[in-house]
Amino acid sequence: MMASSYNAKEEDGHHSGAANHGGAGAVKSKKPDNTAFKQQRLPAWQPILTAGTVLPAFFVIGLIFIPIGIGLYVSSNNIKEFEVDYTGVDISSPCHPCAKNFSWNATTPCPCSVHFTLEQPFESNVFMYYGLSNFYQNHRRYVKSRDDSQLNGDRSALTNPSKECEPYRTSEGLPIAPCGAIANSLFNDTLKLYYIDSNGTRNEIPLVKKGIAWWTDKHVKFRNPGGNDNLTLAFKGTSKPVNWRKPVYELDPNDDDNNGFTNEDFIVWMRTAALPTFRKLYRIIQKKSGSTPTLPSGQYVLDITYNYPVLSFDGRKRMILSTISWMGGKNPFLGIAYITVGSICFFLGVVLLIIHHKYDTRNNSADIPN
Amino acid sequence: MAFRTEQEVDSLHATIECEQPQPDLYKFVGRINIYKDKEEPVARPLGAENLLLRGATLKNTQHIYAVAVYTGMETKMALNYQSKSQKRSAVEKSMNAFLIVYLCILISKAVINTVLKYAWQWSPDRDEPWYNHRTENERQRHVVIRAFTDFLAFMVLFNYIIPVSMYVTVEMQKFLGSYFITWDEEMFDEELGEGAQVNTSDLNEELGQVEYVFTDKTGTLTENNMEFIECCVDGNVYIPHAICNGQILSAASSIDMIDSSPGGYRREHEDLFFRALCLCHTVQVKEEETVDGIKRGIHQGRPTSFYISSSPDEVALVEGMKRLGYTYLRLRDNYMEILNKDDEIERFELLHVLNFDSVRRRMSVIVKSSSGEYLLFCKGADSSIFPRVVSGKVEQVKARVEQNAVEGLRTLCVAYRRLSETEYEEVCHHLNEAKLALQDREQRLAQAYDIIERDFVLLGATAVEDRLQEKAADTIESLHKAGMKVWVLTGDKMETAAATCYASKLFRRSTQILELTKKRTEEQSLHDVLFELNRTVLRQRSISGLSVDCLDFGLIIDGATLSAVLKPNQEGAGPGNYREIFLEICRNCSAVLCCRMAPLQKAQIVKLIKASKEHPITLAIGDGANDVSMILEAHVGIGIMGKEGRQAARNSDYAIPKFKHLKKMLLVHGHYYYIRIAELVQYFFYKNVCFIFPQFLYQFFCGFSQQPLYDTAYLTLYNISFTSLPILLYSLVEQHVTMETLKREPSLYRDIAKNSLLRWPVFLYWTCLGVFDAVIFFFGAYFLFDNTTFTSNGQMFGNWTFGTLVFTVLVFTVTLKLALDTHHWTWINHFVIWGSLLFYVIFSLLWGGIIWPFLNYQRMYYVFMQMLSSGPAWLSIILLITVSLLPDVIKKVLCRAVCPSATERAQSSRPCLTVEPSTIFMLSQSSSRMSF
Repeated sequence: MMASSYNAKEEDGHHSGAANHGGAGAVKSKKPDNTAFKQQRLPAWQPILTAGTVLPAFFVIGLIFIPIGIGLYVSSNNIKEFEVDYTGVDISSPCHPCAKNFSWNATTPCPCSVHFTLEQPFESNVFMYYGLSNFYQNHRRYVKSRDDSQLNGDRSALTNPSKECEPYRTSEGLPIAPCGAIANSLFNDTLKLYYIDSNGTRNEIPLVKKGIAWWTDKHVKFRNPGGNDNLTLAFKGTSKPVNWRKPVYELDPNDDDNNGFTNEDFIVWMRTAALPTFRKLYRIIQKKSGSTPTLPSGQYVLDITYNYPVLSFDGRKRMILSTISWMGGKNPFLGIAYITVGSICFFLGVVLLIIHHKYDTRNNSADIPN
Repeated sequence: MAFRTEQEVDSLHATIECEQPQPDLYKFVGRINIYKDKEEPVARPLGAENLLLRGATLKNTQHIYAVAVYTGMETKMALNYQSKSQKRSAVEKSMNAFLIVYLCILISKAVINTVLKYAWQWSPDRDEPWYNHRTENERQRHVVIRAFTDFLAFMVLFNYIIPVSMYVTVEMQKFLGSYFITWDEEMFDEELGEGAQVNTSDLNEELGQVEYVFTDKTGTLTENNMEFIECCVDGNVYIPHAICNGQILSAASSIDMIDSSPGGYRREHEDLFFRALCLCHTVQVKEEETVDGIKRGIHQGRPTSFYISSSPDEVALVEGMKRLGYTYLRLRDNYMEILNKDDEIERFELLHVLNFDSVRRRMSVIVKSSSGEYLLFCKGADSSIFPRVVSGKVEQVKARVEQNAVEGLRTLCVAYRRLSETEYEEVCHHLNEAKLALQDREQRLAQAYDIIERDFVLLGATAVEDRLQEKAADTIESLHKAGMKVWVLTGDKMETAAATCYASKLFRRSTQILELTKKRTEEQSLHDVLFELNRTVLRQRSISGLSVDCLDFGLIIDGATLSAVLKPNQEGAGPGNYREIFLEICRNCSAVLCCRMAPLQKAQIVKLIKASKEHPITLAIGDGANDVSMILEAHVGIGIMGKEGRQAARNSDYAIPKFKHLKKMLLVHGHYYYIRIAELVQYFFYKNVCFIFPQFLYQFFCGFSQQPLYDTAYLTLYNISFTSLPILLYSLVEQHVTMETLKREPSLYRDIAKNSLLRWPVFLYWTCLGVFDAVIFFFGAYFLFDNTTFTSNGQMFGNWTFGTLVFTVLVFTVTLKLALDTHHWTWINHFVIWGSLLFYVIFSLLWGGIIWPFLNYQRMYYVFMQMLSSGPAWLSIILLITVSLLPDVIKKVLCRAVCPSATERAQSSRPCLTVEPSTIFMLSQSSSRMSF
């Protein structure tokens, strides 16, 4: 077929011609570079997931995971944990009156005692936790209701807390320190533990209240305005949170280092829990020197100053005693999960081995005619 | 009237009338009115031949004087750039479909959570326990407004499930990825000095999805490098010897006359024939060495003279004439000069050129010989000449033409008509009238031509060979193996085209040819032919369903029949009846040849296939202006940087120098782009499900309070920094199979046909995998955290540690999942995959490392480090990552072992191939050592 008209020739002039006649220089500059990247020929490792290559991996995973799992499971089982619910829902429960007759305005604290028996002695350090259930510390409104600058000792934030603290920002015209819903709902039950020895006397067990909060929280993130001395002055012009019985500078009047914002119970509480059922570290029972167990088996009494209402939202309060190993508290789940996954991998390894043998020969025979 | 100097041009008083700016490059209608003092103005027509387009370069003159008629955005070139239609790839369409699904998921998640929130909050103790009161403002808000804000808050919380960054990444991938095409050395043509061009990067992946290839024949399958083979005058055959375009023909010596007794009548025809070919063309002579543009040179006599034309056929013909003794010298002052056999110069006054167009398929010139005779010479396709011939040896010429056509040669017929003085006047009248028309000029010109070009005396025919492009046959064979249906659309005669098709292996010896041509439909009705063909095809298919060797069909259809098929028929069983049968036949043919096609019909065919019920992806490839319509119509348009101008290349989506490059373009680049982008899209949805689903689950444990699981920085940076680069680089450099394998085994292309990696089952698999992983992340962390201590010093972790644990597992799993999918680990992949994991760790350490003064919360302070200091956290991270990756690994391994796809077979056969030579080498080494 004869081609179009003059114009075709006119317009193509400016491109192709130059290359034809421009000489070697023009051609060279247009020619793409022969580099490995541009030609997509970079050296590469080309692994393929075949039954053959994955098999060893499965067996290795199985062989590693199962022992780890067993180790975890055993160490989890060796951990002693004791839990006692002292909410006082049942009428028979010693704390029932306190729970029933709770009032915010009560001036006298309501004490109650729970008796319990430890069947086995607790060796090494024992950690005492309080646990709350059905308490939504992870509610969005709750989580954000704090002012980290104020807690860090910022003076302007002390007198003018963040808007996030609403409605726990001011009370009676004064800024609340510490502001916010978290601080306001600080857990304020007091727990005391007594060991009843064979002749029936109550021996108070020394509870250590330091070292329960993260070191970085205690020393960096939480700071009192103007240092630790004379907190009363430092917090002048602020109001205590509405639900508190005493102001923040009286949290631990005996110990300057544990008072105000740097009070460890307070810091622990301020780290909001991930789930509605949670536990928080309350006290540590140090291991005594010598071979005597920290908590020998026998009768104990838990003395509670019942201040914290949970029944209104159907919550529960617990006291937990637990020993700790290298992998934390009692948690059989991790060990079981490891054993399960390891076994599955091992089992899959076997299945794959069979498949590999069965299909590989078939594939090979099929490949040959190709 | 001529203007040679600036003064002369300056003295010209004229006005130009022209049409409104429009994008058609080959159309211009205008009129110039020249005013001479006090006389009536003289009007002259202006046509496309008077128009210089923007960007044109002058070829055979130093300068011209011109008037600017269109400027700026009104120039035809500018209008053409704008008018390009937007093409969208199939991948993009499925991407949008997936997006809608995710949008629905997002909304339903938000609705579910809002409803559950209010159900859960029914008791006021839950809504507002004593420790967590609302503000007074909030309390006073109407419950509907509160519910609506809650809904919006949930939308904001879950909005990350819509991968906004996917669009950015996809665009970047397309843009950067398209460079690999231009950089490809194998697609660089030394002769042309150019490599492949990418005009749009939107369609890269569509190259991997092509099901129908529509190709032009001339210049695409063939070289468009014409060689004059022979001519025949009244049935006597002349074959020139010697060189054509540098290639030596093995043909006969000098002029071979079959009948060597020239009679007077014959002698006269012979003279006229050669003169006709010397005069009836638009070839220009270039005498200098420095020729811009396409040159065709022969070194004979004067070493520096070239013939230039936009049509290679014409050059071949004029050169052929030269070798037969008639040399076209030049056009000087409207006189064409010819050096005849006896070395005498003959001068003809060129009066009119009736330009070639593809509808008429012929061109004519009207010249006045030195003896004062008016002669009209016409050359054109046999079909457009024979009906207009009144005398001459039609039978002999026809026989010869057909014979040549069967051999795959391009034939042209030459005829002439003697015009008397009065006839000439009439012709002039017709032409001028048509040329001056401002409206419907095309149509009126066509009418005028139709009146003028008739009552011809047939002189003879020529045959020009257009050689197949290098590796054209190999390319077509590969395309066939890759499962593509190749259609050749050409304007050539059926026999010529069929011969080319056989040569290019479009039709093989075993191919059963079905003909749907005018010749057949004249014997039977179209209806019967169609039904018969359909029966043949269906019968064959039912048989081949049982037997192994299925016969493949080739269909030949011509333009006339095609328009009959496409015409909505009145009496048949409803409209589109034939169309369906025709499509049914085509569906069963691996190769189709459409001959005698008008340019517009090419586009119609493409449109027809595009609209058929499977909606296949079409690709059109061509080199000439007549292919532009089909290039624009097809899903992917590829232009060949051919000899017939840049039109096709400029209007195409991709331009390649040669047809053979199509193979690499589709089988390698297309395939890569497709698997890359498919993985990119699926992976993006997957990683966002993994990301957001835990957050959704968390709502069930935080009282539906829209509490985010992750810290704001993690929420923001997840898609931007932590997981963006690995997938982007994967989608740029991944090669699941080596290039060599892809080229060697075109059938691998079938594995990705029909958008196979982006179908709903695959999408569902990825989404389910994402949900599974998310559930593992969340509940894994949940059970580990549940009511226990995580550290060896008894201290407790809070909600941010919980979120960070989930997030760490998430980032590692998602990145390692990509690592599992990577088949081609270059240093880049190593760098970005391990690099982004490292970046995540470093960032987290830094983010939690100091008290950031500009933040009003310090929730992440030391959270990450505290987490890392806990043994169980490490153990659970490792465990959860393993569990999350396990199903995908098992699926991959099982699929590969039980029912491997062709691609997977090709992948696994790779190590064997690489191992073999080395073992042989080792054996030979050891044996040689033994012998010492």
